[in-house]
Amino acid sequence: MQAANKEHLYKLLVIGDLGVGKTSIIKRYVHQNFSSHYRATIGVDFALKVLHWDPDTVVRLQLWDIAVIGQERFGNMTRVYYREAMGAFIVFDVTRPATFEAVTKWKNDLDSKLSLPNGKPVSVVLLANKCDQGQDVLLNNGLKMDQFCKEHGFVGWFETSAKENINIDEASRCLVKHILANECELMESIEPDIVKPHLTPPRALSCSSCAKS
Amino acid sequence: MADSLPTEFDVIIIGTGLPESILAAACSRSGQRVLHVDSRSYYGGNWASFTFSGLLSWLKECEQDSEAGDKSTVAWQNLIQDTEEAIALRRKDDSIQHVEVFCYASKDTGDSAEEIDVLQKNPSLVASSTLTKPLDSACLSEETHSDSTSPEMPAKDTPQHDGEILPEVTDREETQVKETDCGEKTCIHTVSDGAKDENKPVVEDNSGQPKRNRITYSQIVKEGRRFNIDLVSKLLYSQGSLIDLLIKSNVSRYAEFKNVTRILAFREGKVEQVPCSRADVFNSKELTMVEKRMLMKFLTFCLDYEQHPGEYQDFTQRPFSEYLKTQKLTPNLQHFILHSIAMTEPSCLTVDGLKATKHFLQCLGRYGNTPFLFPLYGQGEIPQCFCRMCAVFGGIYCLRHRVQCLVVDKESGRCEAVIDHFGQRISAKFFIVEDSYLSEDTCAGVQYGQISRAVLITDQSVLKADSDQQISMLTVPPAEPGARAVRVAELCSSTMTCMKDTYLVHLTCSSASTAREDLEPVVQKLFTPYAETEIDEGDPPKPRLLWALYFNMRDSSGVSRSSYHGLPSNVYVCSGPDCGLGNEHAVKLAETLFQQIFPGEDFCPPPPNPEDIIFDGDDKQPEAPGTNTLIVAKLEASEGSQNLDSPGQHLQ
Repeated sequence: MQAANKEHLYKLLVIGDLGVGKTSIIKRYVHQNFSSHYRATIGVDFALKVLHWDPDTVVRLQLWDIAVIGQERFGNMTRVYYREAMGAFIVFDVTRPATFEAVTKWKNDLDSKLSLPNGKPVSVVLLANKCDQGQDVLLNNGLKMDQFCKEHGFVGWFETSAKENINIDEASRCLVKHILANECELMESIEPDIVKPHLTPPRALSCSSCAKS
Repeated sequence: MADSLPTEFDVIIIGTGLPESILAAACSRSGQRVLHVDSRSYYGGNWASFTFSGLLSWLKECEQDSEAGDKSTVAWQNLIQDTEEAIALRRKDDSIQHVEVFCYASKDTGDSAEEIDVLQKNPSLVASSTLTKPLDSACLSEETHSDSTSPEMPAKDTPQHDGEILPEVTDREETQVKETDCGEKTCIHTVSDGAKDENKPVVEDNSGQPKRNRITYSQIVKEGRRFNIDLVSKLLYSQGSLIDLLIKSNVSRYAEFKNVTRILAFREGKVEQVPCSRADVFNSKELTMVEKRMLMKFLTFCLDYEQHPGEYQDFTQRPFSEYLKTQKLTPNLQHFILHSIAMTEPSCLTVDGLKATKHFLQCLGRYGNTPFLFPLYGQGEIPQCFCRMCAVFGGIYCLRHRVQCLVVDKESGRCEAVIDHFGQRISAKFFIVEDSYLSEDTCAGVQYGQISRAVLITDQSVLKADSDQQISMLTVPPAEPGARAVRVAELCSSTMTCMKDTYLVHLTCSSASTAREDLEPVVQKLFTPYAETEIDEGDPPKPRLLWALYFNMRDSSGVSRSSYHGLPSNVYVCSGPDCGLGNEHAVKLAETLFQQIFPGEDFCPPPPNPEDIIFDGDDKQPEAPGTNTLIVAKLEASEGSQNLDSPGQHLQ
């Protein structure tokens, strides 16, 4: 496991209207469980999922839920939320057509706030959630959905159910596949010498802390 | 939206500048219920950074009449009970003054299709349209003003602002010149002539390097999202209190930095690189061998100057500059140390100069070759990082949310609640208010300082180097005794604050006059206006100015709490940005206020790291190292179980 050659860390956003099941999808995917009553976690701004993509590759996904209490609730996202995300899921609820109508709004909003370092839009997968709760007219025609995705720049779409654990792994694999494909292109544009100050074990600081005292 | 906002909190914080945002994170982190509001539509207040179009909108906002947009607010006077009194807050921030904008870049109409697209998104960008009246630099102040309601305007949704922000006109024949004096108000001046520029050959460097890039105004507008233009220009000392706080609180997980790559000096009309590390000193081509030894000896002494008081005791009450003259240092080296390393004013005392030099040297090498870091995407990211931390710990955020007044209980003399623009009363135990929200009455006895700022977009660095991706810090000493030194930060596109092939240059000094009067002489020394390039045959050619903005920002950092009139003891005041290079003032202020409000509480301790909470794909057990430190609130307030708002509100 540790001997994997390549490790990738990707930030993914999970976006969509209220109550479409964003948090449920993350919980199902990351924590392997589903509960219609779940507790809000405080102090955590993303969930981490580790995928053993192939024998040589480990992919770590940071799933950033837009529903961290407080900022998102009144539509006041900080740039910190969007910045450097590599992909996104936009979720709607098949039982509520209004949430599908909001999908294009979310997509446009995302594209206006986020792009890859090369200026292209990030990969986005559309999730038609709660597919266990009866088929919606919108989805009866798969061709129409394919057409919709093509027109609006989604890399794919899936009917999902967080409750029944349908298609969530598949949707994630689709998104990661597109991100990996994009990354080869991006490698050139990645900026070197970025400083990321972190909590460092005290021993590593010995020299500068001597000078400091 | 308003009715779903809880009406009871522990702490209400008004303003999202750096000190307020640090306090919000600290309060939320220690378990307080925090409401953090700002009347503006963006985070950061005077600490904000903007895209190019965002900056133009901000300029427009600065201009707007204080009574404008007030119609929707609910009167609060009836909501105050007999046992209470109200302290009204200010309706309009007036901390920004003397705004002046100059556009030098060519306004060619080559790709009008794209411009139209931009114009539709940003109605304030009328200025991007076409060629304008040619003016030479000698008559910069002679602006062309047009009636903003005139039918000749190039865009239909011309902003309404009393004609003070000047939308450029399509054809000067049609211009109605309304006024020629803009006084202290915002003006947009245009000094380039697009048509003439079309015929000019592209200038080549003397060094035979690639052609100088021609950047037009429409390109700046088109690439406007690449810009993150800070209202305050600051850097982080790599051993400073802000970087320490970011690391300690792990708010650093939200931020990334670049090293400032060069320290520059301006001496005898030329920009030179200051060698500051040991390697720099030895590699320097400017210094002689003797100078290298002198400098190393002196810097080594500064690192532990306290151990050798005999070396400087005769100078403790005399200026650092005099002390330097007695050391074995050439004038060249004295200049470097005084202006670029210690970065002190000429009157600075010897001990303070030695202390500043030591601090500079200590900060070297922690992350890079200079003592400074610059946040990617601009300084304006930093308050937002603290806000994110606050929100992650349950803090509630409302932008565009104006607080009309503080409600004070007459008997206890304590502030109990605020009333917002919906007329809603929100109560709390403690109130933190940024200075610019306080009314004229409250601030009647307050003496403010002023900061002079300039923001320039240029086409080349002030000092060419092998790499065009340099981040430089330059101090321009005062031209005459008694004047102020001007701090210049030049940012390249890899800082994510400007478009490719441009530089974003920030100038800062404490004000003696208006920003333009204080800073234009330095701008003229370092840069040449775009249109004048053919005349300027200097060697090497100066970088060209594409666009310039001047403004004064009020400096409330020196105001003591006691000079505010009539504020209850549980109302705490945060100042706006100070003039200093680092963020030490803001961090100290936030920590001091936090200790006053919650004595003995830990200030911004590290949160559990989400990286420790790993749910491995192959592991069925959702427990992982570090999970025991995770705080799980026993709430059901997440988005799936409550109907909090309507879809549109996520979209701005």
